[in-house]
Order: sequence, then structure tokens, then C-alpha cells
Amino acid sequence: MPQDTVLAGLTQVLGDVAGVDPADVTPEAGFGNDLGIDSLTLVEVVVAAEDRFGLVIADDDWSRFVTAGDVIAYIERAGMIASP
Amino acid sequence: MPEQQPGLADLSGTGLRVAIVGAGMGGLSLALALRERGMSARVFEQASELTEIGAAIGLSANAIREFARLGLADDLAAMSTIPTELIYRDWRDGSRIAAHPVRKDDWYVKRFGAPWFGIHRADVQKTLSAALGAEHLHLGCRLVNIVEQPDSVVLEFANGRVEHADLVVGADGVRSTVRRWVTGADDAIYSGTSAFRGIVPAENLPSLPDPQAIQFWMGPDAHLLHYAIGPDGEAVNFFAVVDTPRIWMDEGSVVGVADEVPVASFRGWHPAVTEMIKAASSPIRWGLFTVRPLLRWYRGRVVILGDAAHGMLPHHGQGANTTIEDAFALAALLAEAKPDDLEPAFAQFQKMRRARTRKIQRSSWVTSNLLHLPDGPAVRARDEKVARVPEDFAWIHEYDVQQALRAAGAAPAAPAGAAARA
Repeated sequence: MPQDTVLAGLTQVLGDVAGVDPADVTPEAGFGNDLGIDSLTLVEVVVAAEDRFGLVIADDDWSRFVTAGDVIAYIERAGMIASP
Repeated sequence: MPEQQPGLADLSGTGLRVAIVGAGMGGLSLALALRERGMSARVFEQASELTEIGAAIGLSANAIREFARLGLADDLAAMSTIPTELIYRDWRDGSRIAAHPVRKDDWYVKRFGAPWFGIHRADVQKTLSAALGAEHLHLGCRLVNIVEQPDSVVLEFANGRVEHADLVVGADGVRSTVRRWVTGADDAIYSGTSAFRGIVPAENLPSLPDPQAIQFWMGPDAHLLHYAIGPDGEAVNFFAVVDTPRIWMDEGSVVGVADEVPVASFRGWHPAVTEMIKAASSPIRWGLFTVRPLLRWYRGRVVILGDAAHGMLPHHGQGANTTIEDAFALAALLAEAKPDDLEPAFAQFQKMRRARTRKIQRSSWVTSNLLHLPDGPAVRARDEKVARVPEDFAWIHEYDVQQALRAAGAAPAAPAGAAARA
């Protein structure tokens, strides 16, 4: 899955779930600092991202996410494992 | 019961043969919730009678408001205790770290619109199964196999019974058999924590301050939670959690331990804690299991709910309550489902419920760590957190299934004044 596709998908998820302005979503954007997403809202983002990309993100994994780029990298890696 | 409108039987899918596996909170609640929507179901339970020894639960507003609509709140209240306060205490000296009113000033009901009940699990089962009627309940039926056919599902039970259904709901708990069929794996995970539990007459607990409160005693690598149950708060139910064993070796989730193990696990704790554990003299260890997050709660004509779908640590007291929420949400969505195309209803159920239950599941996990901190600097931050519990966790208790259904544009309002009894 190319990075821009994942970024576009995540941007939509962040807009739908947390009302984040698409213009604010960059790989460097921090969930807490830049996007104003607290830990509980992040769970909603994770669940919606799972539905969107068809994978489960384990709690131990997503609880380490700091930036949108961390999620993108995770989904890309999972996509490579699923379809080598 | 009021007469059905013409044609409603078809619209609400009453022609569906619904089989529910498990007569716990989820299964019984679902059968009642379906009836409220004009549908009937058969409930299959592996136990030969509905009794559970030594286990109580706390029913919170998010569940009670559903039972209240069915006219069951008074029956439950008659067997329940409403705690005076929610109190957090230090493990060693018993000092009050934080206290929040519950019954005091009627705070909880005013804030959340329904009460919080401490009640024996068997009393809840008795109330719900009596409302449902014994003819809908099939005991001694342990599910051993599910066979999918083109337009139905066959359930095979250990007693040789074979049943056909159009729709199967797995409400069979954290070690669910139905889930294995849905996901193809055993998705239960041992949490690395286990519990000792018991029910003790309040009069046998002379060292216990505020015996009618719900209290957390927090200490290094362990905590003890207790609350009173019964019509007059005459018994205290406790749940004592430890960070051991690291690995769960047993096939089942309950193992016997040497008599002295439960008390020895709380050596050095306040006498109220050790006295309570000792008085229960229940040398049984309960492994605490959760369910790994699942992407799909359904397959074909089979769907899972409650602990089977999202088993969680009990530290927000929400295992049973989220299960009851699930039941009422699923019933509303099934009433709108097309009998030959169940998947949209299942998908909507999952969409509506997965984020909320995952949040509570995650939050219970974080709380587990918070309750088990060693003495030291982190304790101060914890103390600030427990002082904010009513604000921080209001979102759990204020949830209203019917409102959530409406918000999702999912289902019409529950029928007003629907009777729970047949």
C-alpha cells in the first residue's frame, strides 16, 4: 500500500472520528500535541483505521504511536506482510 | 402484551429462529431485549441449573436504564445494595486517598439517570430468567459443534440434541466456543493477573471501615475491591487481584490453591483486607483473561457479543454492563434485519459497539496498572487520578444504548411501555 494512499485513508479517519482538519494531517503531526487527540479518542481512531485497512492493531503497538507517520508505517508494514 | 400491528411480525423478523448460546447476563438480556422488539429466541446453557456460587456483580446506570424500561429495576433493587460512596484507600494504613458520593445525596442517580446496584449474579440470573420464562431456556446443553448449511445453522450439543437456527448468537463468555467458530482461533489472552474472590457476612468484618461503600484498597502489585450486596447490604463481596502468576498453565480459568495462599498474597496489608480474605476461606485462584481485539464479530449467520467478543479486565466493573449494552443494541438491529441477509445488521452492531468496548477494555487495563503501583513518586499522580474518577469515567456510565442507536440512525426507539413478561 503506497504511503500517500495510507495517509489519505488515515486523514479521512481522523476527520470522521475526531474532526481533525485534513490540512493538519502530515506524517510528522503528533496526536497529542498537534492534532489534539487524547488517548481515548486515539482508540476510536485505531478502531476506525482497523476497519478501513482491514487489520488489527494490537494494544501494545498502537499505545506507542506518537505521530500519524507511526500509524502509516505500521499499516504499510502490515500490508507488506499480508501481501508480499 | 399489546397486540402487534399487522405486518410487524414480518418486518421485525419474528419469523427468524434465533438461538442464543449461553444464559449469562448477555444471553438472558438479549432474549428479553428481542422480546421487547417482538422477536423470540431460545437460550441454550451448558449448566444444568442457573446457580453461580460466590460471585457478585455491580450493575451500573448504563445497564440498569435498559432493565428499567422493561420494568425489572424494582425486582433487581429488592436484592441489591447501593453503595454509600466510592472510596480509594492506601493498602497499608487504610487512609482515604479519595472518596466520591454514590448513594449519598443521591449523587449517582442524579448524575447518570439510573442507580448502581451491588447484587449477587445468581439473583440477576433468577430475575432475568423468571421474566423470560423457563420454556425459553434449555439447560444442560453444552455446544460442541456448529455446522453451517446454505440457509441455516445446525447446533450440536453434548447431550445429543441437535437444533436448527436461522441466527446464532454466541453469548458464551470470555472462553467462548462460538468465538472459536467465528474467528478460527482461541483469542483469549491471560492478563498476567489473577484474583481471589469471596462473599463474607458484613458482621464478620469488624476491622472494615465503611462496609457499605464500594472501596479499592491499592498497593504494590495488588489491589482489593469490595462492595456490599443483598437487600440490606448484609454481605460484602470482594475481588482481590494480584500480579501473579506470570504465565497461566491450566486449561481452565479457575485453579485450587493451598489454603494459606490468598491471605499470604496480601501479607502486610491493612487488617480489614486480610480479615476479609481470611473470612472467605476460598482457596481458589481465578485467572483473569481478556479477548484480543477482533476485526470481525460475526461469520455467516453467527455473531458473538459480550465477553465472547471483547472480554476485558473487570477493573471498571463493566464486563457485565457492556455485555448488557451489546444485547440491547443487537436486539434493536436484528429487529430491522432482513432474515435472508443478516450481515448488514451484524456489521452495524459491530460498528456501533467495537470502539466503545475497546475503549473500556483498554482503560481497564491501564487502571489495573494504576491500582498496583509500588510506593514511590508515581503514587502521587495516581492519587490525583483517583480523585478525578467521577469526571474522567462519566462517559462509561452516562452511555445510553437507545440514544446511541438513534445517533447511528440505526433503529427506531424501543417500544414504549413494552412488557418484559410474556
